[in-house]
Amino acid sequence: MAKLRVIFENGDPERIIEFDPAKAPFHHDGRPGSILDILLGHKIHLEHACGGNCACTTCHIIVKQGGKTLSEATEQEEDMLDKAPGLTPSSRLGCQAVVEDPDAEITVVIPRYTINLANESAEE
Amino acid sequence: MTQTGSRPTRAAIVDRIVDHAADTRSLFLSLPDNAKLRFVPGQFISIAIKLPDETRTRPYTIASPSAEMPFEICFNRVPGGRGAEWLFERKLGDMIEFTGPYGTFTMDSTPEAETIFLVEETAIAPVRPMIHRAMGAVHAAMMLLHAASSQQHLIYRAEFESFAARDRNFRFEPMVLQPSDIYPRLLAEAERRWVTGDSDRSRQFYLCGVGKGVIALRDLLRGAGYERRSVHYEQW
Repeated sequence: MAKLRVIFENGDPERIIEFDPAKAPFHHDGRPGSILDILLGHKIHLEHACGGNCACTTCHIIVKQGGKTLSEATEQEEDMLDKAPGLTPSSRLGCQAVVEDPDAEITVVIPRYTINLANESAEE
Repeated sequence: MTQTGSRPTRAAIVDRIVDHAADTRSLFLSLPDNAKLRFVPGQFISIAIKLPDETRTRPYTIASPSAEMPFEICFNRVPGGRGAEWLFERKLGDMIEFTGPYGTFTMDSTPEAETIFLVEETAIAPVRPMIHRAMGAVHAAMMLLHAASSQQHLIYRAEFESFAARDRNFRFEPMVLQPSDIYPRLLAEAERRWVTGDSDRSRQFYLCGVGKGVIALRDLLRGAGYERRSVHYEQW
């Protein structure tokens, strides 16, 4: 079994999920077996405004441990990450980072902020 | 920037429905109190698709020029696409909940370098507001290559032809092709015109569409020496 520890920068209680990567997909958004897929399948919210299609950065996560057990980032993911605020060397998009090791032990941080180019407020 | 998990949900009302083809529709959405939606050309909203068993989040690009209200989203049916099916079932006066706008496939200012748009079918949606914005100011040369599977699917054609007729700095080439020929043709055109055609690598490109063809176009152009950040793309 793989283990995923999730730390929320906004102060929500941390969660630990044990799962079998071979049973992916767990949900229907993001790449099957991705961090987004695993979280949603275990009823943990992670934003994914584009539906998990690598077209925004709202599922930005920071991998603190176990990064080598995840799929390599594609050029498309790297292009998108370039636009994420608070980018770190271990940043990934939750919808794209797939757990590949059945015994992986991964820790991720969900950042407090995500980018949104336009002000979300409707103008009067 | 917004705190994760706290994005405000907005309500919009279906104000008008326009069918471009049997499988392609625009919904015009109005906001309460005649409010306007501020967005950057190219962005999308994220709609809550309320299915009987769950609510899904699906993105839909804003197709209307930025100042226009009600704002327009344009979409087509896709096999197994429950989100589009749900939207096709909406009627005048129905309420839709959304968050956003989002997205970084955007044009923030009028282009100062020659700009090429290569798009297919409804992927014209994010590009339309970009071109509208650029047409409102002095701009570098722009060209739009829009490939679609039928004349009906060349949506906004008359509008782009009108732009091209009045502005010599904007060229528009619509193409009707078999679906399987769309990306091979776009790749061939890109290679002939902007890879082997000359050595100018100062252009920028906006590529949008469905599937791996968009990535193939990106790789062709970047591989030919265009700056990574000059090749903008959005793949669905």
